[in-house]
Amino acid sequence: MKDTLQLVHRLSAHPDSRCWYVAWSPTGALLASCGGDRAIRIWAKEGDTWQCKCVLSDGHQRTVRKISWSPCGNYLASASFDATTCIWKKKEDDFQCLTVLEGHENEVKCVAWAPSGNLLATCSRDKSVWIWEVDEEDEYECVSVVNSHTQDVKHVVWHPTQELLASASYDNKVCIYKEEDDDWECRATLEGHTSTVWSLSFDPEGQRLASCSDDRTVKIWKECGTGDESVDGSWKCVCTLSGFHSRTIYDVAWCRLTGALATACGDDGIHVFKEEAASDPEQPVFYVSAHVPKAHSQDVNCVAWNPKEAGVLATCSDNGEIAIWNYQSDA
Amino acid sequence: MAADSAQLLGLVEEFVSGQADSSAADIATGVKTGQFSILQLVEALGLSLTSSQTQTRGRGVQLLSQVLQECYSGLSESEVKVLVTFYENRLKDHYAMTPHVLHGLTALAKCTVLPPGSAVSILKALFQDVHVQSLMLTERSCVYNILISLMNSREKELKGLGPDFVFGFVQAVDGERDPRNLLLAFQIARNIIYRGYDLNLFTEELFEVTSCYFPIDFTPPPNDPHGITQEDLILALRAVLTGTPRFAEFLVPLLIEKLDSDVQNAKVDSLLTLAACAPVYGHKELAEFLPGLWSSIRREVFQTASERVESAGLSALSAITSCLSRTVLTSDSGDALQTFLELVLKDCQHHLCEPDLKLVWPSAKLLQAASGASYRASLIVTAVVLPALFEQYNSRTQCTHRRTLLEVLQGFIQPTVSSQPAEREENVLLPFQKSLCSVVFSALAESNASLQVTATKVLATLGQQSGLLLETDVEIAVDHLTRLVVEEDDAQVSLAVMDCAGSLARLHPAVFTSRMVPRLKDEIFTEPMAEGDTSTLPQSRSKAAARERSVKALAFISSQLSLVQESAPVLLQVLAAAHKGSSSFSTEEVISVCRSLQRIAEHAQHTVEIGDFFHNVVIPRLLGLSLQAALHSQRCSGHTSPLTEEAVLSAIVPVISTACAALQSVPATQMAAQAVSLFLDGDVSFLPENAYPSQIQLLKSQSDCWSQSQLVCLLMASVCSLSQQVEIPDIDRLLVQLEELIFTCTHPFSYTSAAKCFAGLINKRAAGQALDAVLEKTLKRISATLDCESSAQRVQAFTLLIWVMKALLLRYHPLSVNLTDKLFCLLSDNQLGSQAADSFSLLMSDSPDVLNRSCHANVRIMYRQRFFTENSVKLVQGFNSAEQEKRSVYLKALSHIVNNLPRQVQLSELPALLPLLLEALSCPDEAVQLSTLSCLQPLLMEPPPALTTQLEALFTRLLALTTSPAMKVRITALRCIHALSRLPTHMVLPFRARVLRALAKPLDDKKRLVRKEAVAARSEWFLLGSPGGR
Amino acid sequence: MSAGTRLENANPFIFQRSGERLLTASEEDENVIDPIDDREIFDIIRSINDPEHPLSLEELNVVEQMRVKVNDQESTVSVEFTPTIPHCSMATLIGLSIKVKLLRSLPDRFKIDVHITPGTHASEDAVNKQLADKERVAAALENAHLLEVVNQCLSTRPA
Repeated sequence: MKDTLQLVHRLSAHPDSRCWYVAWSPTGALLASCGGDRAIRIWAKEGDTWQCKCVLSDGHQRTVRKISWSPCGNYLASASFDATTCIWKKKEDDFQCLTVLEGHENEVKCVAWAPSGNLLATCSRDKSVWIWEVDEEDEYECVSVVNSHTQDVKHVVWHPTQELLASASYDNKVCIYKEEDDDWECRATLEGHTSTVWSLSFDPEGQRLASCSDDRTVKIWKECGTGDESVDGSWKCVCTLSGFHSRTIYDVAWCRLTGALATACGDDGIHVFKEEAASDPEQPVFYVSAHVPKAHSQDVNCVAWNPKEAGVLATCSDNGEIAIWNYQSDA
Repeated sequence: MAADSAQLLGLVEEFVSGQADSSAADIATGVKTGQFSILQLVEALGLSLTSSQTQTRGRGVQLLSQVLQECYSGLSESEVKVLVTFYENRLKDHYAMTPHVLHGLTALAKCTVLPPGSAVSILKALFQDVHVQSLMLTERSCVYNILISLMNSREKELKGLGPDFVFGFVQAVDGERDPRNLLLAFQIARNIIYRGYDLNLFTEELFEVTSCYFPIDFTPPPNDPHGITQEDLILALRAVLTGTPRFAEFLVPLLIEKLDSDVQNAKVDSLLTLAACAPVYGHKELAEFLPGLWSSIRREVFQTASERVESAGLSALSAITSCLSRTVLTSDSGDALQTFLELVLKDCQHHLCEPDLKLVWPSAKLLQAASGASYRASLIVTAVVLPALFEQYNSRTQCTHRRTLLEVLQGFIQPTVSSQPAEREENVLLPFQKSLCSVVFSALAESNASLQVTATKVLATLGQQSGLLLETDVEIAVDHLTRLVVEEDDAQVSLAVMDCAGSLARLHPAVFTSRMVPRLKDEIFTEPMAEGDTSTLPQSRSKAAARERSVKALAFISSQLSLVQESAPVLLQVLAAAHKGSSSFSTEEVISVCRSLQRIAEHAQHTVEIGDFFHNVVIPRLLGLSLQAALHSQRCSGHTSPLTEEAVLSAIVPVISTACAALQSVPATQMAAQAVSLFLDGDVSFLPENAYPSQIQLLKSQSDCWSQSQLVCLLMASVCSLSQQVEIPDIDRLLVQLEELIFTCTHPFSYTSAAKCFAGLINKRAAGQALDAVLEKTLKRISATLDCESSAQRVQAFTLLIWVMKALLLRYHPLSVNLTDKLFCLLSDNQLGSQAADSFSLLMSDSPDVLNRSCHANVRIMYRQRFFTENSVKLVQGFNSAEQEKRSVYLKALSHIVNNLPRQVQLSELPALLPLLLEALSCPDEAVQLSTLSCLQPLLMEPPPALTTQLEALFTRLLALTTSPAMKVRITALRCIHALSRLPTHMVLPFRARVLRALAKPLDDKKRLVRKEAVAARSEWFLLGSPGGR
Repeated sequence: MSAGTRLENANPFIFQRSGERLLTASEEDENVIDPIDDREIFDIIRSINDPEHPLSLEELNVVEQMRVKVNDQESTVSVEFTPTIPHCSMATLIGLSIKVKLLRSLPDRFKIDVHITPGTHASEDAVNKQLADKERVAAALENAHLLEVVNQCLSTRPA
């Protein structure tokens, strides 16, 4: 293991509360974080250190759980336990709340902007996944409400290239959604995890999906194509990484630039996995490329690769800190 | 006269036209001084009062009323008569005038010269012409105040109105909302009920118009200037509702209904009202409701999680039972009490048979409440419950069940004030005497600790009721207790056994003398480890523990002279044996024996004969043994008697001083004479044995051997605890020799004891030339020695200085000022500075063996405050002008003083002191920190306003101290922070986030005791300002 | 409580409280480190109030010392609690109270696991899963009403 994961910087981002999530802007220049203090903070690198450029503290009445940048980088969406999703518009160095999306019955657990920039997905403890359309006049409209899960939906993520959505839930399952006749519906259900699925990440090409769970495993799924585009293939679990994490895995992130797979775990540690070069795509083999056992002093909640700078990784933790890492790999 | 009337007219004109309101006051003054009469005023108002303009008439009446309010007490009967008629007529006038009319009538109603018939006519007019509830608040108050005034002064007349009065009142008050007015209305209603107004026709209406407010739900507005609390209203209404049995048929169903409410306050109010009306009612009123009442009370007590509700429910049950107990038995009504109690027993009894389920306790408490309500009730209840409990006890073998059963039993065997048997009635428990004893003795024989503890409590309760236990029972009990004292090593059981023994011994000393004392004596004198003994170390340790307990037990039981006469000699024998070395008693055991003797000596306070016994037997023996030990230690170096050890002598001191403090004047005088002649002249005649050399000089110091000089502590014990009237013979010579001893001796215990003795003597010595002469001489010597920096006796001089200073401080002697100055100077002394700071603690706190009130010392009240007031400024100045390194000395001194002030003074001085105390918290000296924290902590319980401006500084310092290297400092700082959580929420909420963050660290402290405090403090701070918390 | 609604379990078994922990000499010694042990954790949770009865969790035997396991070195704590009856609807609330008390009372480094004693409750898996989900717990504690009930369980009752 000649690969390394070095700590570059540690920030006390959300004092006296948890930092739940971090997200890089599409240019990689800004890092947004959100937490239990109901605030969103935007960070930028200045020289050797990271500075907080602005604090958005009036948008939500309760914890802000996740944030998502629009592909153009001008908008930021935030999902909160107050059952709303806030859309922020960037204006020079500041952000202003453009609109508030309501509709969920209780806590919104995730928001994700589609790569096309026209669609937004949210999911909630009310077991539903909502798809929203946004037009040129910044008007948002809910176009679909899908109730495929039987429990709290924890995370939604868009396919990198297709209009395809995946969701992860407390019911231990992953659902895949496609649009059919102006309506979104669940096309496949991925079963295999034995406890809550916390997060999902597609690989750079969009052919495989990684999921992480409370059952302390990461699973890699692949769609087995039928060759016919109109017929959905079924998804199969082609690899399970188990035995590496001693507690719940809260987040998984597949790097678009390097293909490395990072995990954030409740045992305070971070892992980075790499796929063996020669492994069979139907039965990939992953090995531990880097591991920092005590990356933070408490649970690591989120892990995010910088979309433009290869090897730069951001993590955040229950102790309110954000850490920036540098990953270097020979391969 | 004419000028007056012109002036009057002028003033009237001014007022009526609205030009000036002050004219009313001027006119009032005029009437009071006799310048005008009230009827002249009426005349002057003539035009205004008949004007067609309502406003003018109104102003006229207003003027008249305002003047009346000032002048009503000086009016004559005829004037009043005219005015009353006038006002009554005005009630029929335009409604805009009614307020002014009412104000006038309020004044008139207070007139003592109100003519007969006026009261009635006023009321009739009021009831007829005024619709009270359509008036404004103040005017309604007027009406109520009129009623109250008239009820106070014209009761007979008003009663003549008959039922119309009540009816009128009911109509007036129907719909009243204002709390102040309600209190007035309730007062009127109470008067109606308690003063015997005619209620016959309108009982229900009166009830309805008052009970509609039940239960009171009132939240006073913030910063309410009137200060009416919900409790005021509740109590006032309750007095009305429970005032007469005629309300019973309406009240009781209402209470049952309101008891069903979800609101806790409503339940409690209903139950307490029930408890309040039962004493007023008889069986007749309650009869039909009894099943319903019982069902509701039972439900509440069984289901509630609230102590308030439970306790109110039990009071209600008790009151009802008490009421029923007062009924006279007639052949046709049956026994109401019996029937009711059968109902209660039916529902509660079976739960007593399930001692491990929750409902055992509510059932037991209900039955106990009923039983304690009257003697009759206790007879009925115990007849059923006790046999059931005995049966349960015998059939269940699990210790936890048996313990619960015994605890339940305990509640039934203690008679209450109401259930005490009368003169010729026998104790309720008498029929069960055998079973009671059997159960108790069986429990005592078990090995489960909590069961045994409960059994001792039951036994003590039984033992206190005369005639309940037979002689044989007491004997068996004492045997059990003796066995437990000797064999039982669990600390809790041991303590409970000793308490029980102490309580029983008071009433049955003879049994203890004959059975327990000999057995304990044997135990004490059995060797734990003899030669060739193969018992192991733990076995010998347990034997030693048994001895220890036996010694302790002897003290617990010796509250009567007969027992003291048996037990004290045993203890003295131990000391003698230890001294001779004939039995192997360790020093700790000897000290323990002394402590027991001290406990016994405490009983001398209320039994003169015990004091005499100590004087005649115990003290001479102690002195004799100590003297022998001191003398012989010089000769043989084989066995060292423990009585030469400082620790042992220090334990003997309180024995002697406690006993001496209780001596009456004759033996006290003898004691003084004996002690002085022993120490001054070596007179051993009063000591028991005679093997003493002839020339003993106890107050001469001998180099290298302190065994004799240290006996001066016993002198101190003997002479410094006697009552102030006792004259100490040869006192001057004594003082001289003591002083000499101090300056020539280098043994700290000896010279300190001598200094204490010296101080004790001069504290009580009569003021005058003789005393001053001694003081001057001694102080001169002290100063001289202290001023000489190289002197070897500086420490001794300092010791004497402190003790003399204390003695003089306590009695406000003027010379104490000089000494104080001296002490302050010493604060900056290189050698003695730190000791000087510490000595403030000695000066301010209570010293255990001398110069305290229990030794009859001359202690003037508030000496600490006085000292503080006279010297605090100096201390603060000294602090400010001292260099950095020396500052802690001043802080230490200051914190010692403040720490010992009474709470009130600390609180009032806090504003001035707080900056210094905060400074002290930053001082690196841990002793200062600890002392300051201990001083602060109780002050934080009732924080004075001065604290609020300093909260920032206080929090900063306290949080910093939670990471101090000293464990005690961390603990006390955490306790202070915990205390601060109880300040008003708005004051401390801003600090919450900071405190929670800072307290996370001590949660991981390496010491458990610190963590415990951190958890407690942090939990409270979490609850602060949070829903469901504080 | 009005006459209509009855307590689910009106007459539970009650257990006797064990006494206070006795002080040892090493606990008063400044220089000795006291590890966090099972008894200490038990002392933190034993006097939590039951939501329905005027009794503590210890008195109802909902928590017992032998079902508390702590490992100071590894910073883990595990507490098993036993609801008074198998269909107790208060089980989640009780578990939540225990969890919150421990969260407030233990250093941040600890991983806290609170679950139902196996075999003692009809929905133990569902309850355990909720208690283990820190996101659910955090969201629940932001609910003022639920927080109020939890805080009431954690308040010390007036004597």
